[in-house]
Amino acid sequence: MIDRLYWKYAADALIWLLLLTMPFWLNWVGGYTQLGTQIVVMALAAMALNFLLGYTGVLSFGHAAYFGLGVYGAGLTIKYLIPSTLTGMAVGVLTAVVAAAIIGLLIVHLRGIYFAMVTIAFGQVFYFVAYRWNNVTGGDDGLSNWNRMPIDFGFARLDILHSPVAFYYFVLFFFVVSVAIMAALLRSPFGRTLLAIRENERRARFLGIPVDRHIWLSWLISCTFVGLAGTLYAFLNNFADPHTLYWEQSGVFVIMAVLGGMRSFWGPLIGAAIFVALQDYVSTMTQNWMSFIGLFFVLIVLFFPRGVLGVIRRKTSS
Amino acid sequence: MSLLRVENVTKNFGSLTAVSEVSMKVEAGELMAVIGPNGAGKTTFFNLISGFQTPSSGRIIFDDEDVTRLLPARRVWRGMTRTFQITEVFPELTVRENLQIAVEVASGFRLRLWQSRDAAAKVTARVDELLDMSGLSGKAGRLVGELAHGDQRATEIMMSIALKPRLLLLDEPTAGMGDQETYDITQLIRKLHRDQELSIVLIEHDMRVVFHLADRIMVLAEGAMLAEGTPHEIAANEAVQAAYLGKAAA
Amino acid sequence: MTQLILFNVFNGLIIGAFYALMALGLSLILNLSGVINFAHGGFLAIGAYLAFTLMPFIGFWGALVVAPILTAIFGLIIERLLIRPLYGRDPLYSLLLTFGLAFMFEDGTRFIWGPQTLPFSVPDWLSSPLSSEYFFLTGYRLFMVALVSLAVIVLFIVLGRTRLGMRIRAGTLDLETVSVLGVNVRILRSLNFGLGIYMAGLAGVLAAGMLGLQPTIGSELIMPSFVAIIIGGLGSLPGTLVGGLLIGVASGVTTVFFPSASEAVIYVMMGLILLVRPRGLFGEEGRF
Repeated sequence: MIDRLYWKYAADALIWLLLLTMPFWLNWVGGYTQLGTQIVVMALAAMALNFLLGYTGVLSFGHAAYFGLGVYGAGLTIKYLIPSTLTGMAVGVLTAVVAAAIIGLLIVHLRGIYFAMVTIAFGQVFYFVAYRWNNVTGGDDGLSNWNRMPIDFGFARLDILHSPVAFYYFVLFFFVVSVAIMAALLRSPFGRTLLAIRENERRARFLGIPVDRHIWLSWLISCTFVGLAGTLYAFLNNFADPHTLYWEQSGVFVIMAVLGGMRSFWGPLIGAAIFVALQDYVSTMTQNWMSFIGLFFVLIVLFFPRGVLGVIRRKTSS
Repeated sequence: MSLLRVENVTKNFGSLTAVSEVSMKVEAGELMAVIGPNGAGKTTFFNLISGFQTPSSGRIIFDDEDVTRLLPARRVWRGMTRTFQITEVFPELTVRENLQIAVEVASGFRLRLWQSRDAAAKVTARVDELLDMSGLSGKAGRLVGELAHGDQRATEIMMSIALKPRLLLLDEPTAGMGDQETYDITQLIRKLHRDQELSIVLIEHDMRVVFHLADRIMVLAEGAMLAEGTPHEIAANEAVQAAYLGKAAA
Repeated sequence: MTQLILFNVFNGLIIGAFYALMALGLSLILNLSGVINFAHGGFLAIGAYLAFTLMPFIGFWGALVVAPILTAIFGLIIERLLIRPLYGRDPLYSLLLTFGLAFMFEDGTRFIWGPQTLPFSVPDWLSSPLSSEYFFLTGYRLFMVALVSLAVIVLFIVLGRTRLGMRIRAGTLDLETVSVLGVNVRILRSLNFGLGIYMAGLAGVLAAGMLGLQPTIGSELIMPSFVAIIIGGLGSLPGTLVGGLLIGVASGVTTVFFPSASEAVIYVMMGLILLVRPRGLFGEEGRF
């Protein structure tokens, strides 16, 4: 019993250590700082999705919508409104939250695959808007000719535009804050009601938990952090692309969570790291990386559904 | 005034009548058993009382309030809880966690994002108390899904007790259990009935359990009430014997 | 102006017929096996490309008959190998699997046949308009509507009158009871899947003739199928049929007045249905 806790703290410490020093060792293993930043951003998105999927037991396949809203909210703000990174982030997150709140009300009483279908379908609406409204969003070509702005603190200036390392730590800061909030929520009595809903919705209902309301709240929290990840993704590439809204992207978030292990907190981070690294590698080798991603999905589902951390847990708990 | 009054409830599913004009009264502190052959409509009857389904006609009055159309979660808040034929617990959480969730919800902590030390200590104390009452203390750290059937059922019952109900509905609590487990659960129910000042309505097939625990018995057959009375009266009732013997022989 | 509206309504009906054909296949699989076959669009594309490859040898009519059958056989293989292991599990896994298959099919068709739009030749006499006033009433379009109607009618006859059909319908309501009655549920699911894929393949051949053949042909048509099922009601095949036609017509009419909203309008309809009647037009209560 003590052993398990010991392992858990050691693992946590190791992960934080790796994250904090990533720009320094990543080049050494054949990566580059921007790749590391991409991993952190995707990890945030996957962990946000897992809040809903792994902890509340809700099958959401349309998270790309809120990711994309974050992307476009940030990009459009900087390009047309105020060239300020923080404002862009705020607008991106707010857009995602408002959309999620409204759509959540429409769908929260649905369950299972029906819910999944509806989330996918709603995701597509935003895709079409971004695609069609091309004088504003740039359509299929995406939103370009803008970039993340350095941040002026008055006494100091954080040049996240020109320094990939500075940008990495900027992103990591938001990652830390988000992850800390999500962890605190999951450990609270509210968080336990979500576990209850995942484990046995009927029993949760018969304990007096207002299930629909709690699912809506979990949905809202999840979409907020996915939106935040979206804004960071926009800044990473200085580009907003309709494909961040496409159903493919939603599937990618889910597979990251599954690959790493849905039932553990850090699982999606591991999944994101593996996926991003693999995608980066494969796309340099061949044009048909889409087939490989598809094959990857199929293999994980058939042979590795518990994910990396799921397998490790099995081995240590016996 | 009776704690629970069920007045002439009927439940139709299209042309099929599952429950037909059944009335029942349960006084505070009473333990009432509902028995009857398979398919008599007992579980449907429970579903109507607990709010899982709505009656086609009739009323359900709980503590002088008409709860006929009230949602299940609301009835829980009014003091009515239930267990299910197939044990409904949180399988991948530990016994302690299962009880902790029940206690927290009962204390109104559903939306709490943070707990004071005091509050957390109170929750833990209450969980320990529940574990003690049911003899599950030794298994508190184990995943409920991995426990024996009897322990799972005990956990489920204690989760309902955590909510401090005034009326507890138990749907076939000893279903699928061996002799020892049946004995243990029966003892637990008896203890809870005595110590917690609780009314209990119990669906059961095991007659030993029924006659051991019940203050009064109601017999349902084919959706309608066949007889009602004390255990002695029911045991001597010829119509009841016919219903059971008739069905049992077939 | 009336010509324009008529043109678009008719166009909408045709597109709606497609959506319905595809959605019916998807619905069949969903209702019986609880699997959302996201790869349905991929099967449609495969059907179209197979037809294209076969046409030089057996002509249009030959391809029309053979390609959907080949696609269905391919579907049966996929079902047997990849989907069957997932039936008991959380629906998450079958959805992820079919997602993966969708990627593989789209990229695979691009790899084998190339990314450019391929010329799909339809018999001449079908392409000519029937009258100069109603120029949009080409033989091909009428033929498609006729064929889709035929396919739908045959489907409903199969479901209503044959033993297989009855077993599928019973299985949709209660699979456990059906298996207890001695029906081999595994084979039933496979056949049902094959039937659904056959319809996707058929839709593919027809779509290629009208929309042109490119690797993305499947993924363009799958989302409207989803919406058709949601609007029509989960668990109801007539509902899916109506849903498909409705969104087709709505899309067609919208093109006249707000061309850029023609894709989004079906989602607006979906949102309205969810708000007003969440189980869909013909959906059964408690299916979800």
